[in-house]
Amino acid sequence: MKGWWWKILGAVIFLYVIIGGLTIPLKSGVTHSHPGSAKGGETLKLSISTYNTHFLSAKNNRAWLKFDSTHAIKSKNIQLRSDNTIDVSFSIPKAFPVTEKTRSLTLILDNEIDGAFVQPNAIFITASDTMSALKGEWENAEMQNFNNVKGIRFPYRNILNETIRNTFFHVALWFAMFVLLIAGLYHSVQYLRTGDFDHDIQSASFNKVAIMYGVLGLITGSVWAKFTWNTFWTTDVKLNMTAVAMLIYLAYLILRGSSTDHDKRAKLSASYSIFAFLALIPLVFVIPRLTDSLHPGNGGNPALGGEDLDNTLRLFFYPSIIAFILLGTWMSSLMTRYERLKEKIFISS
Amino acid sequence: MKKFVTLIFVQLYWIQIIAAQGEAVDFLRSTGKIYSVVVVVAVIFIGIIIFLFRLDRKLTKLENHIKNE
Repeated sequence: MKGWWWKILGAVIFLYVIIGGLTIPLKSGVTHSHPGSAKGGETLKLSISTYNTHFLSAKNNRAWLKFDSTHAIKSKNIQLRSDNTIDVSFSIPKAFPVTEKTRSLTLILDNEIDGAFVQPNAIFITASDTMSALKGEWENAEMQNFNNVKGIRFPYRNILNETIRNTFFHVALWFAMFVLLIAGLYHSVQYLRTGDFDHDIQSASFNKVAIMYGVLGLITGSVWAKFTWNTFWTTDVKLNMTAVAMLIYLAYLILRGSSTDHDKRAKLSASYSIFAFLALIPLVFVIPRLTDSLHPGNGGNPALGGEDLDNTLRLFFYPSIIAFILLGTWMSSLMTRYERLKEKIFISS
Repeated sequence: MKKFVTLIFVQLYWIQIIAAQGEAVDFLRSTGKIYSVVVVVAVIFIGIIIFLFRLDRKLTKLENHIKNE
């Protein structure tokens, strides 16, 4: 079993990520609510559609419209229509607790099975009395004793929904690609320093597997985009710059394939791969951050920042990166061994 | 390499055909788009399999070369 442990480890972690990453349910969330606006002083009946909720089996459904951390109104009446649809009535006070004309309120739902979940800016309220501030009606909302959902659940994010699981596949693929490219870069530098052909072989194998990861990353991103943005490709900076970076690396493959002179090929491709890696950093990390982008994680869209990558996602995201790195190293070591054999046979013959 | 590129284009074309049919898209978008995650996993799997096939073919060539000597 010597020399095998990390390959088996990679496969086991990958299996763990696939099984856990695809089967653990999402938290509950609000998909949409209707109407979108109301006036102060009237009774509002809000029809709410939710995802992954169990209203009918829950005993204690509660709802609030939150103004700020101390001011809110509690629902008057809750009608359960199904597990995922609910009608909530609120009687909205004539004025806000501060002198203000309009404000969008946050909807909070809570029950003992699904826990508490929120929809920010769920409704836009226009006060009918804009001259005064009404504190009393906003203060006895009993906004407390929120339930926590039991077990491990992935966070619910609008638009992303279940595709938040792509963090373990699409995103981890890119992270692993970077690590493999760094390994390739290391061997390129070592080749240029020592002139040892074995480093050239290893560098090329790492780079080839990394390029495969990159192409797969583009395809998986494209598939996701088709079902989220309704198009395979947009002229988004992040997408285009990544495509440019991948093209630079595809040119690396062509460069390696074009030269038959062994020595020249090794020297050229080693220096080219250093250049390509240096071009990759600004293309992928810097330029997309300079402008706005549709891609999750850019331009205020949810992804790896702050609350979005929560601890339940980390439980699978980091192992996934490790699994992809180990599997990639395995694949590149197979390639290296093949190239070494070929070298040996052609030199001896 | 040429075959590999052709293969990728054939795959993309295939996904395009599926996507052009409204019902299939609706299905893939149902239940919070979980099936698009399945497609993503399948794409990664197919990619790794293609890699293995290519390596296998190269090794076969090498084996034949050794045999013929």
